[in-house]
Amino acid sequence: MNTPTDNTQDRIAALQAELDAVKRREAEFRTKMVQEFLDRGERNTYVHTLHEERAALRKRQQESFADLENLIRKLEAEVERSAALEAELMKVGRSLSWRITAPLRAIARKFQPSSHPPSMARIMDRLPVEGGVFTYYLHTSPFRIYHDDTFTLKGWAWPQDGRSITAIRVNLSGRTFIGKTGLEEAEVIAHYGPQPANPRPGFEVTFETPPGRHNLSLEAQIDGGEWRWIVKTSIWCEPLAK
Amino acid sequence: MSESDANTRWVESTSSLGDRSAYKKVWERQSRDPDVAALAVAGHTDEAKLDLTARGFIDILNSTVGLGANDVVLEIGCGIARVGKVMSLECLHWFGADISSGMLNHAAARLTERKNTTLVELATVGLQEFPADAFDLVYCTIVFMHLLEWDRYRYVEEAFRVLRPGGQCYFDNFPLDSKHGWNVFTEGTRYPLERRPAHISMASTREELGIYLRNAGFVDVTVHDLPNELIAATGRKPEA
Repeated sequence: MNTPTDNTQDRIAALQAELDAVKRREAEFRTKMVQEFLDRGERNTYVHTLHEERAALRKRQQESFADLENLIRKLEAEVERSAALEAELMKVGRSLSWRITAPLRAIARKFQPSSHPPSMARIMDRLPVEGGVFTYYLHTSPFRIYHDDTFTLKGWAWPQDGRSITAIRVNLSGRTFIGKTGLEEAEVIAHYGPQPANPRPGFEVTFETPPGRHNLSLEAQIDGGEWRWIVKTSIWCEPLAK
Repeated sequence: MSESDANTRWVESTSSLGDRSAYKKVWERQSRDPDVAALAVAGHTDEAKLDLTARGFIDILNSTVGLGANDVVLEIGCGIARVGKVMSLECLHWFGADISSGMLNHAAARLTERKNTTLVELATVGLQEFPADAFDLVYCTIVFMHLLEWDRYRYVEEAFRVLRPGGQCYFDNFPLDSKHGWNVFTEGTRYPLERRPAHISMASTREELGIYLRNAGFVDVTVHDLPNELIAATGRKPEA
C-alpha cells in the first residue's frame, strides 16, 4: 500500500514527465516554424525567383544543345553514307561494262538537259590523336551553326587518370589553334573537390570558322607529351548574309 | 558652401574600410579548400581535435548558460560546424548560420549523419533569415574577433530578436588583458600597414560586451572569464 508521500512523489514525477513532453512539443513546433520561415523567406525573395529563372533557362539551353548534337550526329551519319555511295558509284564508273557502254550514254546525254557528275565527297579527315577519358564541361557548346568568323570554346576539363593538362588546342580539319589553360574554376573545384594535377582546370580556345563543313576536335596535351581528344564533332559554318 | 553641401561632399570623400567588412568575400575565399577552411575557423585540420575543442566549448556553454536536450539552438558564424557536429547530439535541433556558402558546404559534408541540423547562408550581417522568438539559445563563438564593432552589436541585437522570451545568448572574444590576447595583438602589429589582412583578429573588452547585451535588452548580463583565456558575455531575454 502506498503512503501519501509516495503518492505525492509519483504525481510530481508524472507531472514532470508531462511538462517535459509539453516542452518538447513546443520546441518541435518552434523548430518547424523556423524551417517553414526559412522556406518561405527563400521562396519570396526576388533573388530566388531569378535563380529559378536562370536554372530554367540553363536547362532549356542544355536541351537545345542536346537536340542540336543529336541532329549533327545524324547528319554526320548521312554524310558518311553519302560518301560510301559516291565511292561505290566511282567503282561502277571504272568497270569494263560501264566503259563499253560509254558511247551509248554519251549519245543519250546529247538528248538530255546538261548535268554535272556529282563531285567526290570529302572523306573525313583522320584525326591524328586518340581519344582520352576526361571529366569536362563546355560552357560554350560546339554543337551549333557557326555564323561568325571566329568562335571561342570555353570550359573545364581534367583527365580521369589524375594527370595534368599542359596545353589545349582545337584541331579544325587539320588546322590547329592553341588556347589558354589554367583558368580559375572555383565553383567546379568547390563541387568536385581539389584537383591536385589541375588546380585551375578552366580553358578557352579561339578558332577560325571559315564557311563550310569541318571536323572539329578539342584536344588536350597530357603532362607535356601526348595529345588526346576530349570531344570531336563535325561543324557547319555559314556566315549570315549581309 | 552650405553645411549641407559640405556634409554631402565629406560623405563622398570618405574611403571604405576595405575588405574588413566584406565578410562574404573574405570568408568565401578562405573556404575553397576544406583544410584551409578548417584552419581559418579553428586553427587546425585534425578532425579529432576539432571534436575535442567542440566538446570543450559545449562544457563552457553548460557552465554558463546551460544546454538542454529540448533546446532549439542557433549558432552565428558556424563555419564548418565544428561545434554543431557535436552539439547536435545534445539538443533538439541545431541551426548553423554563416555568411560563407563555402564554409556551409564543408559543414554540410560533416553533418550528413545529423538529421536534426539545418544550415542557413546569411545574405549579410544580421539574422534576417530567421523569425522572431524562435530559439532557446543563440551563441556565437570565435567570431567577434573578425567583426567590426557595429557588426558585433548587430548580431547581439538580432540574437535578442530571434530568441524566445526566456531564451539565452552567449558571445565570446579574446580580451587584451590576457597573455593570449596580448600575443594575438602584438602579432597583428607586425603586419605592414598595407598588408594587414581583412580577417585580422581584434580584441573585445568586458565593458564592450556587457554594454552590447544590456543595450540590446538582455537581462542577467554576466561577463565570464573563461579557462581558455576568452571572455564571454551571457544574457537572458526577459519574459514577455
